Amino acid sequence: MVDHAEIAASVPSLQQHLEAHRYICSTQIATAVYLAYHLRKPVLIEGPPGVGKTELAKTTAEMFELPLIRLQCYEGLDEAKALYEWKYGKQLLYTQVLKQTLDEVLQGAKGFAESVKRLHEFGDIFFSAEFLEARPLLKALQEERGCVLLIDEVDKSDHEFESLLLEILSDYQVSIPEIGTVRARHEPPLVFLTSNNTREISDALKRRCLHLYIPFPDIELEQRIINARVPAIPPQLRSQLVRFIHGLRDLDLKKVPSISETIDWARTLLLLHAERLEPELVSNTMNVILKFQEDIENVQPELRTLTEKATKDSG
Amino acid sequence: MDQLLTQFISALRNADIRISTAETLDALSTVELVGYSDRRLLKDSLALVLPKTLDEKAAFDTCFDQFFSFGDRRSRPPPTASDGDAEPSGDAAGQAGNGQAGAGGDAQDQRTANARPGSPRPQQNTAIATDERGEPTATPGSGEMSPPQSALGQLLVRGNQMEITIAINTAGRQANVHEIEVFTQKGVYTRRIMDAMGHAELQQEIGRLAESADIPDRRRAVDLTHRRDWLRERVRDYVEHQFLLHADVTGRRLREDMLRDVRLSALEQRHHRMLHDLVLRMARRLVSEHSRRRKVFRRGQLHVPRTLRRNMKYDDAVFDLQWKSVKVDRPKVFAVCDVSGSVAAYARFMLMFLYSLEEVLPKVRSFAFSSDLGEVSALFARNTIDDGIAIALKQYGGGSTDYGQAFADFRRLCLDEIDKRATIIVLGDARNNYGDARTDVLKEFYDRSKRVIWLNPEPRSMWNTGDSEMRHYAPYCHQVDECSTLAHLERIVGRLLRAVA
Repeated sequence: MVDHAEIAASVPSLQQHLEAHRYICSTQIATAVYLAYHLRKPVLIEGPPGVGKTELAKTTAEMFELPLIRLQCYEGLDEAKALYEWKYGKQLLYTQVLKQTLDEVLQGAKGFAESVKRLHEFGDIFFSAEFLEARPLLKALQEERGCVLLIDEVDKSDHEFESLLLEILSDYQVSIPEIGTVRARHEPPLVFLTSNNTREISDALKRRCLHLYIPFPDIELEQRIINARVPAIPPQLRSQLVRFIHGLRDLDLKKVPSISETIDWARTLLLLHAERLEPELVSNTMNVILKFQEDIENVQPELRTLTEKATKDSG
Repeated sequence: MDQLLTQFISALRNADIRISTAETLDALSTVELVGYSDRRLLKDSLALVLPKTLDEKAAFDTCFDQFFSFGDRRSRPPPTASDGDAEPSGDAAGQAGNGQAGAGGDAQDQRTANARPGSPRPQQNTAIATDERGEPTATPGSGEMSPPQSALGQLLVRGNQMEITIAINTAGRQANVHEIEVFTQKGVYTRRIMDAMGHAELQQEIGRLAESADIPDRRRAVDLTHRRDWLRERVRDYVEHQFLLHADVTGRRLREDMLRDVRLSALEQRHHRMLHDLVLRMARRLVSEHSRRRKVFRRGQLHVPRTLRRNMKYDDAVFDLQWKSVKVDRPKVFAVCDVSGSVAAYARFMLMFLYSLEEVLPKVRSFAFSSDLGEVSALFARNTIDDGIAIALKQYGGGSTDYGQAFADFRRLCLDEIDKRATIIVLGDARNNYGDARTDVLKEFYDRSKRVIWLNPEPRSMWNTGDSEMRHYAPYCHQVDECSTLAHLERIVGRLLRAVA
């Protein structure tokens, strides 16, 4: 059991704890977690793919030792899959069972009006919490100790779903027509939403969130990230490969390599026992960092200069 | 209410960052949490709370730096607090004290202020005095000075930074500096603020002192001149600062309003960058307006087959009702643009507009012609919009216009693909150089497509004059419009989206 208040006491402390869980981040990112914790506001994270948006939520959950509840968004995601659903099967089963006891219940009832009245006493049993199947959003509210709720790639969902999120994001509550309003039990969840910017998120949603943009890290930060993730790689090679990737990001590519690709590449080079970057080596392992044939072909003529530049800069 | 923060937020709003009241409240609680002491932390925190897009974040960055830089400037030491003051300081302070209520604290302030820069550099005053380019009156040397009479003079000699800043701010408010709109007004406002602070009186005093036979008086005149110049610098800084916060955008908005209504062909190259932004912003608004209405549910109509299929798992007990819905298809848009000299500028902006709407209009195909027609869609897939347009203009522009030939080419290229979902937009002035109009081809499109829209950049009064074939083409269009400004373009594209959604 970790002391949440102590971890979140200051931005540097958060940064350290995140680092201890192998998530190296800028102060801006740590500040976002700090504010999210203290103001209890959801964080909308945007940025190019592969810069660690999802990872931030995961690491935060790990750091606070809270359960992570993840909701992956996609087109067509609706209430029934995100919020709650009635357990139809169970309801059906219970009706069948009750059919037999129905006679007992209605025994002695005089006339139709009284029968109906007795049935009413059963009331809304079929629509009570026992028959409610909690989906991620509702589950997050019901967690005893609070949790980290990750709503991943919210831009992939429909506009209607965004509106659905508004209530839970601003008040940490959900209205279920048959039951009423369900509020967060104890501690409201820490909510992270990620977006790859495939479409503009509505203003209403943005207004309720802190907005964090994670760009590609600078050379120094990325080196530290590689160091944390692939500790075995020699420092010289690390410096060279990070510089090379940064050189690539300046080019006009269909998909620029992200941090996860840098990490993959570092692992690949480690596996190949590389000592330093050579044009030939780079050319052979190109497919680890570039995912489009078109990009690979475009970069091919530049390889030598890029490699030379990277090795020269790193000294 | 935290006044500094509200001012900052109004400055941000000026810089086109949309901030709602709810966000203002968030910012307040954020500031309560992090405080003003750590500038970096404050910036990081507010950057999370207030700006909500990448553009806004960039604007926020500059705005924050500008707004909170004033604090740095304030801490700059005044240039001429020298040993001249240090000697009779008790005297001057006493004088000031007589004239000023509650001067005890002031005097204390002043003594420390004078002691700091004064004592280690006894030569300073002389050095500055000889710096004055050849003014004979400027060399009375250092030594005793007579106390200043005017209020502004006293204020300057006291040299209390805080007081001066407050005075500048008050004068700024009197001069309505927040109404500044264009940079040429900076001088005017600087003068107005100086006047409001009592510049005229100070000027007279300097004049009088300089004429005086008394040496301390003349010294004071030189001293006051320096202080006045320094103050003017400060005020200029202040106005500059206010201009950046308040005016930059008002001015831009003014220009943008103008740009919307001006004829596109009349615009110059230097406006293009701004127009581009404007087009993108207009397009974004259209996108957010129209991206919502994709599915229209026909309320209350049960979709029987689907309901049965979905409920099989419940033993055919009908739990999960399925309703009929209509999925609205994305429209196919064919943009046929005349890119000959007279119309090229319009084609440029229409294509820019259409391609900025990619989110709601994913199926735009564009064709360019002057005499021969060719498809240019691929150009926009590979290049940025600007480059694509430039290449298209280079490839197809420059010939003499032949609508008949162009329509025939278009027919050959994609008659098969024109169906009831297709909207064809023709942009051109219909000036066919007296060639064959080929209205029969246009009629064919008219019959097959959902809509044919003809946009003519010429004013209506010019249609049908000379070689314009507008009267022959118009019967075979669902809609004919004049389209010469961005405002027109926006209206037409908006209508197009409404019609198809």
